[in-house]
Amino acid sequence: MQFNLLTLKQIKMKKSINLIAIICTAIMFIAANAAMAQKAGGPWTVPAKYKAMKTTVKAGDPSINTVGKDLFSKNCKSCHGAKGLGDGPKAANLKTSTGNFSTAKFQANSDGELYYMSFVGRDEMPNFEKKILDEADRWAVIGYIRTLKK
Amino acid sequence: MLLTLLVSQATAFAQEEATSDTTVQEKPKEKPVRPAFESGLLFDAATTTLYPSKTLEFVIQHRFGVINVNDNNYDMAGIWGTANIRLGLNYSILKNLMVGVGTTKFNKMEDLQLKYRIIEQTRSNSIPVTIVLYEVVGIDGSPDSKWDGTPDAVTTKSYKFGNRMSYFTQLMVSRRFNDQLSLQVGGAFTHYNCVDSVYNHDRVSVSFAGRYKFTPQMSFILSGDFPLDLKNIQDYKKDAASNTVIYDKPNIAAGVEIATSAHAFHIYVASAQGILPQESTMWNKNDFFHGGILIGLNITRLWNF
Repeated sequence: MQFNLLTLKQIKMKKSINLIAIICTAIMFIAANAAMAQKAGGPWTVPAKYKAMKTTVKAGDPSINTVGKDLFSKNCKSCHGAKGLGDGPKAANLKTSTGNFSTAKFQANSDGELYYMSFVGRDEMPNFEKKILDEADRWAVIGYIRTLKK
Repeated sequence: MLLTLLVSQATAFAQEEATSDTTVQEKPKEKPVRPAFESGLLFDAATTTLYPSKTLEFVIQHRFGVINVNDNNYDMAGIWGTANIRLGLNYSILKNLMVGVGTTKFNKMEDLQLKYRIIEQTRSNSIPVTIVLYEVVGIDGSPDSKWDGTPDAVTTKSYKFGNRMSYFTQLMVSRRFNDQLSLQVGGAFTHYNCVDSVYNHDRVSVSFAGRYKFTPQMSFILSGDFPLDLKNIQDYKKDAASNTVIYDKPNIAAGVEIATSAHAFHIYVASAQGILPQESTMWNKNDFFHGGILIGLNITRLWNF
């Protein structure tokens, strides 16, 4: 049987190579993460037609906590989170942050602006016009989003 | 031909409504209820739910083997047994008309499907139910030799393409009672062009299905398809002494549905393994209440165009 004994110099070189490999991997890992870090979405350009829209479902309407909540759970919760804080399970995979519906700044958007952002969408935010077809149902979802205000 | 009659009847009905709308200006347009079921598929069967036009649906239906089929219990809940699978694509041409194609492992069945909604339940309850017609044409992909009879003095049987065909025609009636509960009943006629001499070509069946939604995304789902033993459509002589296997068990299925924006998942136990409705109706010998249970998984995915 033959033993391949390393000289002291070879052991030291092997350790250095190992260390360099570890540092390189760490740098690549951090770089990849940095590249994937979420950016906040820029301001939305909402067409005038949508800006002027007003909800047909008033605050306190029973459909907000039934239909609105159901449709939000089914279609929105996976990215935006159950409370709209942008912490849904799919949010981490997106390049753009899914925002925070509880802030005053978000809630200051008009009904029509929320409607456009929710159903027409842009980039990673899908279009939901074919998923939620009924106008009253759409306003119920917007009504539910309004209840997520802190 | 039946379909043409039904389509023209539905158009005539629509014409009637349009006329009444123009004469009575204040009458608001009737809104249809939300779909009775979250998906157009329930276990192996169809529901009365159709998607908006230009929706593509990809369907994977998987059925493991019968649990504990071996006497020495060398099994893991049917996962080690022979499994059946179907892959299908459905496309909604109109909001009330869907067509589909699919392929199934057992018997290499290829299928063409059509689902047509005749009448839709309205929110005001002026129409209390949704009625849908569903047709599955099956083409058995087995080698020609499956049907090659040995010609003799009495029979001159030899393979013809038509031997491969089977037809499942079903009329379904459903009602969405509230946001949680929907129920459906159906009657169906199954026909196989070519069967062994000791079996029937035709079978009538009734089915019951329901769902109870207990969270915004999850429901309990249940269905039963019961073949009926109607003497006047039987055309074979049952030989009491023979070892003929009798296929007359209902397909009973129970499980859970998880619905998301683009997917529906079904996790359940069922008693038939054929997946295609005609196969389950005609050739099921598993008794749900005597160990004839198989675990099933369905996944559907929707794309809206």
